[in-house]
Amino acid sequence: MQIVSLTMLQPVVELNTQPQYADNTTLWHHITESLHQSLLNVLSLLLAILPGILALVVALAIFTAIGMAFSALLRRALAAVKFDERLARGRNSLDWAPSTSPTELTARISFWACVLLGLLIGVSAFDASYATATMQTGALLPYLTRIVGGVFLLIAGTLVARFLARSVLIGAVNAQLEYARFLSLGVKWLVLVLTAATVLDHLQIGGVVVELAFGILFGGIVLTLALAVGLGSRDLVSRSLESRSEHPAESSSIHHPTISEESIRHF
Amino acid sequence: MVTKVPFRYVYQQRIPFISRNATPPNLHRIGRVKVRKRATARRERYRPRGNMPSSSPAVNPLVNLRLRLALDSSTINSEEAMATTNPIPETTAPPVRAGADLLVLLAAMPPEHRQAVLANLNAVFAHEEVVIASPDPLPEETEASFRFIPASASKVNWTLTAADFVSAYQLADKNQARAILMLGPESSSLSPAELHSLAGGVLNASVDLAVPCYALPPYAGLFNSAILYPVTRALFASRVRFPLAADLGMSLRMSQHMAVTAQRFTGANQGETPVWPVNEATVAGFAIEQFPVSPQPPSHSNRPDLNTILPFVTGPLFSDIEVKAAYWQRFRTLPPPFQLPPSPQARGAEAVMDIAPMLQAFRLAHTNLQEIWSLVLPPASLLGLKRLSATDAAAFRISDNLWARIVYDFLLAYRLRTLNRGHLLGALIPLYLAWVASHINITASGIDPERHIEELAAAFETEKPYMVSRWRWPDRFNP
Repeated sequence: MQIVSLTMLQPVVELNTQPQYADNTTLWHHITESLHQSLLNVLSLLLAILPGILALVVALAIFTAIGMAFSALLRRALAAVKFDERLARGRNSLDWAPSTSPTELTARISFWACVLLGLLIGVSAFDASYATATMQTGALLPYLTRIVGGVFLLIAGTLVARFLARSVLIGAVNAQLEYARFLSLGVKWLVLVLTAATVLDHLQIGGVVVELAFGILFGGIVLTLALAVGLGSRDLVSRSLESRSEHPAESSSIHHPTISEESIRHF
Repeated sequence: MVTKVPFRYVYQQRIPFISRNATPPNLHRIGRVKVRKRATARRERYRPRGNMPSSSPAVNPLVNLRLRLALDSSTINSEEAMATTNPIPETTAPPVRAGADLLVLLAAMPPEHRQAVLANLNAVFAHEEVVIASPDPLPEETEASFRFIPASASKVNWTLTAADFVSAYQLADKNQARAILMLGPESSSLSPAELHSLAGGVLNASVDLAVPCYALPPYAGLFNSAILYPVTRALFASRVRFPLAADLGMSLRMSQHMAVTAQRFTGANQGETPVWPVNEATVAGFAIEQFPVSPQPPSHSNRPDLNTILPFVTGPLFSDIEVKAAYWQRFRTLPPPFQLPPSPQARGAEAVMDIAPMLQAFRLAHTNLQEIWSLVLPPASLLGLKRLSATDAAAFRISDNLWARIVYDFLLAYRLRTLNRGHLLGALIPLYLAWVASHINITASGIDPERHIEELAAAFETEKPYMVSRWRWPDRFNP
């Protein structure tokens, strides 16, 4: 009995020194098997989220159709009850363009509300199917929300940039500044750069690099504008200083060379 | 609350009240009339003279029509209607009124100007029952029997705003005034006879709106000449030369109508918005008369610059035109021309005006604002502006038709909200300066300024079909 047990406890001296996958057939088999496994995983994932994608498309299509029908119905109903005229009685004026009448606005808002509702329902269905398939609950929906938020930021930033650029352009032209267009472009790009940095930051892309690049670009544009305005307004500033030194009691603000105020009365 | 007079009652008629060539009335005659007969004497004083048509309701169908109008209006009570529609009383003495005859609403002005206005009012209405409302502190007693009441100060005192009209009607209603005289900050230049002219018509109820026609120097009131007068004349068929005058006389029903209109603005916290009494009176069918008035001295006190004035005035004008589109799209007959008072010569009128800064502003705008102008103006107008930008200063002329189309295109873009309205009106300023430069060049060539302005107004009338076409079919009709 002791002999048997000692024999069992002895280490195996003779080891198998041959490689486990010695031949090419075995290696290729494993590669193929791995690829098949990955393909199966991806296909199964796609099959799992396909209902979600279909649900998203169907929900969007259905609610868009509902929105169109509801919008048309609302437009007819409001036109029948003369909604615009009734609303105009309570307002100070008929301050509506034909394309932005209250009826038209209400119909459009209802249509886009339906589309948005369909989008939300579709995204929820898609996220549910994706989470079930990947077992990562709530991974996609927050990022989709960020993307939507980023798109809104981009649109708002572009609109603000255009508005500010036009405001600056018209104001500078009426102030008879020669560099009006340059000033307007500078303001426009300032807002656009700020918007782009905000969107990237919102999407969590780039990290510190975006902040650094934004700082450099923003500072560069401001410096350029300051130099341009400073150099361009050199004559204006010198004239203002001269007039102030000659008439110290008079106006403290910069007086633009206006048009023959002594003889012309516009109003 | 008042309701707007239906269109079927609209009539367009001027009632000549006091001949413009007549000598001013003897202001001291009234002082000798006994107090118990004061009301009768007052009406006698305002009786039309010469060959003026009788105002008696029995013989004048127009007065009967006005009487019917007043009775149809549900908001004007019968007593007020009779007071405003029957200017000539019956043979029996009228009952003594408990309220005032005239409410004078003064704008904020320097004390010396206020004293001058009070002295002039004293010379005319010494024996009338006059209530004077002013935001400034007024003297406790004067020689005349004036009663002074405080009025709310307006932030904008160089023109009449919605808050002013609401305040005027409230004060008139409270003091039971028959008519209202609103005097602007430069009204100290109005003589007693001119004050009498403005107030007389509305007191007698022969007119509902008495507006002054200022005799201004050639290069004064240019914004009025370039836009306000031609547009008002072309669209509303009114020859009122100063549609946004700072001095006005109004009957009570006109004041009530204006208060209702203005209350919409004050209710929306836009009390500083100018409202357009001439447009309102024209659409409502009220009688309008304008009276020649001496020139006002230039005043730069509290008056903002052009960049502020133009959007401030043009925006409400365009909005008002938009609201009244159903009225002005119809063809209207223009009343006979009004004989303008001779304009005084400007200081240094012989000197050549320097239009270079204006042309510089226009050329700078032409270089930079193409993107914005191309959204508003059709290619033909843009081409015309391009040619103008390359023209020498001496030969710089904007044709009247081009200017009329530019104004109409901006009006249309304002309505369609082609771009932000503040931007739109800001982009109009350089074009207006170009018109001013052109006007100066034209008048420097020997043409009478008033003649040029009348030709411009005629061009606005000629181009009205263009405006109506674009208004009705903005997408289809774009030459």
